[in-house]
Amino acid sequence: MRHLSLLRISVAVIASFYLVAIAAEFFAPYGFAVSDREHTNCPPTRIHVVDESGHWHLRPFVYRYVELPGELESYQEVRSQRYPLEFFIQGAKYKFANILSGRRHLFGVASPASIFIFGTDEYGRDQLSRFIYGARISLIVGTLAAAVALFIGLGVGALCGTFGGWVDVVIMRFTELFMALPWLYLLLAVRAILPLRTSASVSLLILLSVVALVGWAKPARLFRGVILSAQELDFVVAASVIGGGKWYVFRRHVLPQTGSLLLTQAALLIPQFVIAEVTLSFLGLGVGEPIPSWGSILAPLARYESLALHWWLVLPVCAVVPLFFSYHEVTSILQRDDIPPMM
Amino acid sequence: MGVSARTVSPRHVCATLGVCAISFAIFQISAPRSSQAALTSHEELLQTDSPVGHPGGRLVFALRSEPKTLNPVLAADTISRDVLSSMHADLIHINRVSLKTEPALAKSWKVSADGKIITIKLREGLRFSDGQPFDADDVVFSFRVYQDEKIHSPQRDLLTINGKPIAVERVDTYTVRFTLPDTYAAGERIFDSVAMLPRHKLEKSLADGTLAKQWALNAAPSDIAGLGPFRFRSYVPGQQIALERNPFYWKQDKSGVRLPYLSELDFLFVANEDAQLLRFESGDTDVLSPMSASSYAILKNSANSSPNVCLNDLGASLEFNFLDFNLNDVSSKNLPDVQRKQTWFGDVRFRKAVSSAIDRDALVRLVYGGRATPLWEHVTPADKAWINTSLPRPARSLDQARKILKDAGYSWDGDGNLKDPKGTPVSFTIAVSVSSQPRSKIATLVQQDLGDLGMNVQVVPLEFRALLDRVFNTFDYDAAVLALTSGDADPTSEMNIWLSSGATHVWHLNEASPATPWEAEIDRLMNQQMTTVAYKKRKALYDRVQEIEQQNLPFISLVSPNVLFAAKKNLGNVQPAIIEPYALAGVDQTYFYEKGANSCQ
Amino acid sequence: MKYVLHRIAHTVVLLLAVSIFSFLLLTLAPGKPFDEMRTNPQVSSATIAAERMRYGLDRPIVERYFYWGKGLLHGDAGFSFSYGMDVRSFIWAPTRNTLLLTITATILAWLISIPIGIWCATSNGAIDRVTGLATSLLVSLPEPFLALCLLYVALRLKYTPIGGMSSLDFDAFSIGGKVLDLMRHLFLPVLILVFAILPVLVRHIRASMLDVLRAPYIEAARLGGVRRMRVIWRLAAPAAANPIFPFVGFSIGYLLSVSLIVEVIMQWPGLGPLFLESIYSRDLFVVVDVVLLSTLFMVVGNLIADLLLYWNDPRIRLS
Repeated sequence: MRHLSLLRISVAVIASFYLVAIAAEFFAPYGFAVSDREHTNCPPTRIHVVDESGHWHLRPFVYRYVELPGELESYQEVRSQRYPLEFFIQGAKYKFANILSGRRHLFGVASPASIFIFGTDEYGRDQLSRFIYGARISLIVGTLAAAVALFIGLGVGALCGTFGGWVDVVIMRFTELFMALPWLYLLLAVRAILPLRTSASVSLLILLSVVALVGWAKPARLFRGVILSAQELDFVVAASVIGGGKWYVFRRHVLPQTGSLLLTQAALLIPQFVIAEVTLSFLGLGVGEPIPSWGSILAPLARYESLALHWWLVLPVCAVVPLFFSYHEVTSILQRDDIPPMM
Repeated sequence: MGVSARTVSPRHVCATLGVCAISFAIFQISAPRSSQAALTSHEELLQTDSPVGHPGGRLVFALRSEPKTLNPVLAADTISRDVLSSMHADLIHINRVSLKTEPALAKSWKVSADGKIITIKLREGLRFSDGQPFDADDVVFSFRVYQDEKIHSPQRDLLTINGKPIAVERVDTYTVRFTLPDTYAAGERIFDSVAMLPRHKLEKSLADGTLAKQWALNAAPSDIAGLGPFRFRSYVPGQQIALERNPFYWKQDKSGVRLPYLSELDFLFVANEDAQLLRFESGDTDVLSPMSASSYAILKNSANSSPNVCLNDLGASLEFNFLDFNLNDVSSKNLPDVQRKQTWFGDVRFRKAVSSAIDRDALVRLVYGGRATPLWEHVTPADKAWINTSLPRPARSLDQARKILKDAGYSWDGDGNLKDPKGTPVSFTIAVSVSSQPRSKIATLVQQDLGDLGMNVQVVPLEFRALLDRVFNTFDYDAAVLALTSGDADPTSEMNIWLSSGATHVWHLNEASPATPWEAEIDRLMNQQMTTVAYKKRKALYDRVQEIEQQNLPFISLVSPNVLFAAKKNLGNVQPAIIEPYALAGVDQTYFYEKGANSCQ
Repeated sequence: MKYVLHRIAHTVVLLLAVSIFSFLLLTLAPGKPFDEMRTNPQVSSATIAAERMRYGLDRPIVERYFYWGKGLLHGDAGFSFSYGMDVRSFIWAPTRNTLLLTITATILAWLISIPIGIWCATSNGAIDRVTGLATSLLVSLPEPFLALCLLYVALRLKYTPIGGMSSLDFDAFSIGGKVLDLMRHLFLPVLILVFAILPVLVRHIRASMLDVLRAPYIEAARLGGVRRMRVIWRLAAPAAANPIFPFVGFSIGYLLSVSLIVEVIMQWPGLGPLFLESIYSRDLFVVVDVVLLSTLFMVVGNLIADLLLYWNDPRIRLS
């Protein structure tokens, strides 16, 4: 079936994102904190196959970029020497998971030239490398927080849906309260209570819990609605009437009804939570410089400067879209799995 | 010491009277609200010497937020003061370009030999924007309001010297005598921006204690009167404030036309800096000020697509950005971690090493795109009269920094991490306000610079209030990148920063007694300069303060952003200033060219 | 009737809880009003203390809460520290503006997303994929960036205004001119809000529709030869609508929170800029009042959702 191949491609895309994130040290041409002050806000390095004199080269190459004299952050290629693109190149030393150490990077060019596929940020750091390293935090936060939020949401929704009555009323008012409160304050308060210096893993944990804590209420209300209407379905009623236990009926008949919502919500919440990190790092709750996350990489986009002068800062967005689209595809293929084609 | 004022000669008055009469007739039609009839024949207008312009036109200006109030007695925020600066006038004004005092509502003034008595002669025959006359009674009333204990105006601090108020008395209808409790160096500078209030409007509310509630944003235009070039016309919440020309303004141009030229001055509320730029680019606003370095870069980049824009870089401002180490006494606050780190911060050699390791030129280049000035002490080059130019300005030197640290007993481990004499790794945080893009960037660059020295520094972005709370209340921080702006180019405006008991003595707030000998010395010097009148003597004292500052580095001065602004090319007589209200400083003389665009000034 | 009374009682309890928690959260947040005056070297601590005293900020939080609560019963919503005005004297205009913006955006978003969602669910293949890609793109873009992009385009096209709610000469326009002016200013902010919520709505409508299309009665109808459009709109859509109705409430709540940022960038004089500024300046009463107002909107949104459900679902109507 055509769906299946698409499903395979989507899963492969998602898997490759995770793989790249795990082995970021190898895939990223540079370290995430390496800042080249001679190349701040440098546009993406152009990769050539034809040199000055019109000769074609089998191996792509780049030129070195230098700042134009007297003009800040305007760069020019030095065409006198070519620097061929090399794979499995020896580069900066890294330690992988504190055990393996190595120097090989997937690709790169010999110094003094550098290759910035996504350009550099305002500190002269390679955007692509930061994007690759940033995937670690963002994928963990995005997926885990979405999972936690959906789990709590489903649990609470089920509680309301199955018990009904005052349990339902109290919990639903509680979710409304939850959604209405000025969370910004809570975040400020959390920041105030925490010590100024937090290690990256602690920050990650805080990020995760804050995002999940704030995010569970909406799914909970949605699940409740679906569960309520699922209980009205004939076969569910029938199952209870013939003596199915409450838990049994819920597990076998009601829960599957939430599948579609669960999938849709998952595909929506993951990107939302990844983006939400922008707000949190704005309040000082992110992982903090210089450790990258997609939130902090996308944050400069909220400034007109990036749009007007540094268009390449948009490239990370182009890179995350395939991932989010794959999430969407996987969930939507699972949804329409058993539906006969419509005319 | 007498100061001669640039008043209008009698002959000139006669020559311009005809013009006044004619223009008054026009105002009678255009401004029926002014109930007062004939002008007195005796009206001492101030004549400006800027180029003559055209009357009419509407200038639109964007503000970062709504002003909080239209009451000059209570206004403490920059935005309110910007708006109020064009609605009110002061007795003696600090010229925004030369930063020297010049006559305003005061025609002339005399300062007694000991500097304690200032006698001010007012311009005669002036009127408030509602047509009511202005005289010495209004001046006395205004100072009564500003010095009122119950109202507690922010201006009150400026008008209190050594805890004692300035005595104000009316000599005659147009003469007021101010008696200072002590010799005060800044002298007549204290009158700048102290708006003169209309007694006839506010006397009642002062009596019944409601003055603090008067002139809120929702006040009726007819309730407000001032002596500034414009008067209040309307306020649309969340959107704009519109001011209209004050027909009774007390300045005229060389040809005898009464100022201001503009018939309307509108303030739009545009909270977002990028949105301000977009509004300016689209032509909705006429002036963009204050402008960030990034906006400057964007406009410069699009100079071809928007040829009607004139970009200006006025050079260094009076703002200084600095790295502040927490040297507060935290023994009572249960902050063992901070206390431990203070053994590093408290050592002047540590601070010197930090200062030496910071690449200030990189800050200028990378944070401000070159539109800033590096600082090695807090006085910026903009303050030409007071900067100590003999101080050294060493370039970044990691070797120097390493040497200082080594001499102080610090060492490095195999991975290059810095360890203090006890063997503890040096690691601390730099807190910074997230709302300030440049300062966040400064903090990150400083972090990188100090990383080269083996220090493990973490930048912690905090919401502005949260940062202030830590710096001023809880003292729970290691270091912070902050900025302060001198309100005036005079050392007396910095008393709170330099006195060890000062409330803005950021590195060690409100010391009961000077914690170090050099702070005691600065206390002495600052107090002495405040009661000295002769400039040369004061300059010598203040030079010494700067020298001590550089030797002891209570904080590490980094950089001063330039004052940038953009204006449409068809604006004439824009006289921007490096202090408040920046581009609005000359708005009473600004005008639109009738046709075509003029070159930039 | 009993239902309505219940509903009102719940709302009152909810508002009470929201106000108490908001007050509590505010005391937890670091910093106090007027702290920013500390950075002005020319202002003494005594002045700041006097300013705080003027607004009763030296009082304990419980006392301030009861003061505010008592005032609210008399229609007085407290006062703003930073503006020195009663909140009620300036809160209605921004409320009206925000409602205008969000309601327009909500209606428009639903009008657009229902057909798209159904179309995606019923036509396999390319359309669904393209929509999936577009919604993926929209969810990956932070809203401020979206807003800036649109402003940038608007600046070049010079057709719509670059922000604000009315032109400077608004007062001089005729009635028709005023409406037109307002619509031109509404265009961009509404567009951003619609973009912001479109992915959520389209995907849920699509999912819900797919669920229904799976049902045997649809299949039966189709095999029985009922026309396609009739199957979709008469049989499938009403059934698919049930799980979607809660979103009516959400979309209002969601748009209210998104419009916070959008309003600031687009200079829409609504509750957004006011709320953010009052949060940053710790303007207690303004914050609580705005939170209460938005809670109220949310409750109303949920109520509408429930009424729609009631109206659409004969089973609930009958029971």
